[in-house]
Amino acid sequence: MPEAIEIQLKKGALELCVLALLSHHDSYAYEIASRLADAIGMGEGTIYPLMRRLQADGLVQTYLVESPAGPPRKYYRLSEAGKKSFESQKDAWASFSGSVDQIVFGGVQ
Amino acid sequence: MTREAFLARLREGLRGLPPQALADIIADYEQHFADGEAAGRSEAEVAAALGDPDRLAREVRAESTMTRWREERSPSAAGAAVFAVLGLGAIDILFLLPLLMGVAGVLFGLAIAVVACFFAGAVVFAAGPFTDPPGGPLTAVLAGIGVMAGSASGGALLTIVGIGLMNALVWYGRLHYRLLKPALES
Repeated sequence: MPEAIEIQLKKGALELCVLALLSHHDSYAYEIASRLADAIGMGEGTIYPLMRRLQADGLVQTYLVESPAGPPRKYYRLSEAGKKSFESQKDAWASFSGSVDQIVFGGVQ
Repeated sequence: MTREAFLARLREGLRGLPPQALADIIADYEQHFADGEAAGRSEAEVAAALGDPDRLAREVRAESTMTRWREERSPSAAGAAVFAVLGLGAIDILFLLPLLMGVAGVLFGLAIAVVACFFAGAVVFAAGPFTDPPGGPLTAVLAGIGVMAGSASGGALLTIVGIGLMNALVWYGRLHYRLLKPALES
């Protein structure tokens, strides 16, 4: 069942990826969605409920920026809680993926 | 599908949500089309990447009612969540329906019985001392209090069971998301 494993992996990593993108610079949903759609094959429409959840959890904040064409665009930035959450999730990911790599690819104990 | 058609079907599918929530969601997807166009994609391409708007609407609606249930725990929130889960239209949910209605019926019956018991206890408590019961007035008062306390704890137990069942149903409904799944399961 390789597909099922892949879905589980992506699901777990999605929030971390969004927080990581926002830790580099503030961004808007389309940009985040297209980065993640290219990189890990996430459905584009799923970004909106995810951002809403992150906002409800207080990890991201929004602000509007006038755009040259069309309505003002909604940007997301990490809140203080979001930065903390990103740091701890990043550490957890690093130690977990490091251990898994060692077991899967290392072979030597 | 064109932008207009996609948004119209999404809006249609989300009817009944609070106006502010609906406007937020529609604005997000409108912006998505605008950004897609700016990036050189056609409306049809963007729409295809977003998936079926009817399906999307059903899942967004289900998610919003389930969030309300989590926050409110009220009977009306529970009802809305049940309908939203049924609206996801998975075939195994339809198989589940008779069982669900049976369980709901039993719970409802028990709830009525508990309320009736409580009032019966109250009558024994209040009227007992004046009707010369066997064992004396004090026995009647105490028995009345006992019956009322028993039915109150029965009611509390029923509420806990009901909330647990609703949570199980919400969990089950979320298993049936297709479009929103990776974003919402954490």
